[in-house]
Amino acid sequence: MQEYGISSSYYVIIKDGHLFQGSFHDDIGYEVIENEHVFTFSNDRKLEVHFVYDCNEKDDYCVKYVLNKGVIVDIIETRILNNGASLNKKVILNEESELHIFNENQSHNNEEVYFDEDVKLLRNAKCEVGYSELASSSLKAKYHYELKEEGAQVQLRMAAMANDDKKSYEIEIGHYAPHTMGKMDNYGVVLGKGSLTIDGIGRITKGQYGSESHQTNKIIVFDELCNAKANPYLYIDEYDVKASHAAAVGKMDEEHLFYLQSRGLSKKQSMKLITYGYLRPVSEIIDNEMTKKRFEKMLSEVGDYDD
Amino acid sequence: MSTLIIKDLHVKVGEKEILKGIDLTMNTGEVHAIMGPNGNGKSTLLSAIMGHPKYEVTQGSITLDGKDVLSMSVDERSVNGLFLGMQYPSEIPGVTNSDFLRSVMNARREKPLSLFQFIRVLDKNIEELGMDQNLAHRYLNEGFSGGEKKRNEILQMKLLEPKFALLDEIDSGLDVDALRIVAEAINSMKSDKFGVALVSHYERMFELVRPTHVHILVAGKIVQNGGYELVEKIDNEGYEWLKELGVEAYKEEEKAPILLENCARKEHQ
Repeated sequence: MQEYGISSSYYVIIKDGHLFQGSFHDDIGYEVIENEHVFTFSNDRKLEVHFVYDCNEKDDYCVKYVLNKGVIVDIIETRILNNGASLNKKVILNEESELHIFNENQSHNNEEVYFDEDVKLLRNAKCEVGYSELASSSLKAKYHYELKEEGAQVQLRMAAMANDDKKSYEIEIGHYAPHTMGKMDNYGVVLGKGSLTIDGIGRITKGQYGSESHQTNKIIVFDELCNAKANPYLYIDEYDVKASHAAAVGKMDEEHLFYLQSRGLSKKQSMKLITYGYLRPVSEIIDNEMTKKRFEKMLSEVGDYDD
Repeated sequence: MSTLIIKDLHVKVGEKEILKGIDLTMNTGEVHAIMGPNGNGKSTLLSAIMGHPKYEVTQGSITLDGKDVLSMSVDERSVNGLFLGMQYPSEIPGVTNSDFLRSVMNARREKPLSLFQFIRVLDKNIEELGMDQNLAHRYLNEGFSGGEKKRNEILQMKLLEPKFALLDEIDSGLDVDALRIVAEAINSMKSDKFGVALVSHYERMFELVRPTHVHILVAGKIVQNGGYELVEKIDNEGYEWLKELGVEAYKEEEKAPILLENCARKEHQ
C-alpha cells in the first residue's frame, strides 16, 4: 500500500490482471466476468476509493464501474502501464449518480501503452474528471463520454506533459439527449523532443436541443524540436444549442514572462510559475492531500531545462 | 540617494524608431511627470528602461548608480531597484496572488519570509489600499477590474520597495476614491531612497502627487522640461501649442484589420 501512495480507507490494487490487495466497503460489489473486473457501487453515503492498475505485460486489461441510482463516489485512479499494456475501462453512471474521478498516469516507459475509456451517463448523472498526465510515458488514449439521457453532464480537465515522450489523446463528449452539458479543458506543455496531440471532439446529434458543448485545448511549447497539435472538432446537428471552442498552440506568452521577470523572478522561475498555474487546477477535482502532493512533485520536475 | 541616468536613448520596435534620443536624469526623492500625446513614446520609454524584449535599444545608455542597466536581464533590473507599474497588467491564470507575491518577495531575500510574516505584511497593505480581502486567493489579475489591476500594481510596489518606480498611467481606471488612495500610497513612500516617474495626462493625478520635474515627450523626444506650470498649461490648452515650437506629434496609426484566418487546427512542428 505504501508503495502506491494510498491514503484512502478503501482501495483496490489490480496487478497484472489479478486482484492483488484490497480494502472493500460493504457497498462495493466485485466480480470478474470473462476477464473483466466489475465493480458495482450501491453506497448511501459518499465514498472515496483508490484504484491502482499496475499492468506490466503486453495484454488487454479490462475493468468496469457501475454506479447505481443516486450513488455518489469519489475515485482516485493510479495507472501504471508498462511494456505495451492496454487498459480498457467502462463506466456506467445510472440515473442521478455522481462520479468525481482523479486519474493519474504514473507509468514510466518508452514503449507506447494504451488507455481506452468508455463512460455512459444516464438521466441527470454527473461526472467530473481530472486527468494528470505528467509522467514520462508514451501513451495513446481515447476517452469517450456518452450523454445518453436528459440532464447528463460531464466536466473534464486534463493536464498533460510530453517531455521526450509521445502522447496522443482523443477525447470525445457525445450528446444523445436534450439538455445535456459537456465541457472539456485540456492543457498541455511539451518539452525537449516530446510530442503531444489532443483531439477534442464535441458531438451533438439532431434533436438534442438545449445542450451545450464547450472545449478548450491549449498547449505551450518550450523547445524547437517539440511537436504539438490541438485539434478541435465540433460535430453539431442541432440549432438550439450552445457550443464553443478555443484551441491554441505556441510558446509561452512573452508578456506574462516579462510581467513576472519585472518583479524579480528569473526566467526559469517565471516559466515554472506559469506552467504550475496552467496545470495545477486539475488537482483540485478531488480533495486528497497525497494525490495533490504527488501532482505537485511531478509538476516541480518540469523546468530543469536550459535557458 | 540613488541616480538613474538615461543618455541619448534610441529605441525601436520592429523596423520603426520610436525614441529618438532621450536624455533624462532622475534622483531618488524626486517625482518626474512625463506627459505628451498618446502614441509618442511615453510607455515605450518606461518599458525600455525595464527591458521589455519587444523594444530594441539601438543607441544610448541607462545607468543606475553607475551600473549599466542595459546589460542587465529584466529580473536583475528589478532586483537592483527598478519597478514598472504597467498600463495593462497581465492576467496570469492559475497563479494565485499570494503565491506570486510571496515568490516575488522571497526572490530578493537571503532568508525567505515565514508564511506568518508574509500574511501580516500582505494583509496590512491590502487594507491600506482598500482592496478586496479575498485578493490573496484570486488568480493574478484574473477577473480584476481595471482599477483593481492598477491597485495591485501599487500593492506590489509597496511590497518590493524599489529605488525607482516607473508608473505608466496608474490613474487610468481609478475612481476618485481609489485615485486618492493610490496617491497617498505613492506619497507615503516619498523619501530620499525613492523616486518616481509618473506618466499621466491628467492634472488631477499631479495635484495629488506633486511632481518636482515635468517633461513633455513628443515624437520620441523630450521637447520641454519645466515645473508644475507645464501641467497647468497642458490641462488648459492641451498639446496644440507645441506646434509653435516646431514639434509635430506622431499620429496614432490606424490599426490594421486582423485576419482571423483558419481558427481551427493549431500546430507546431
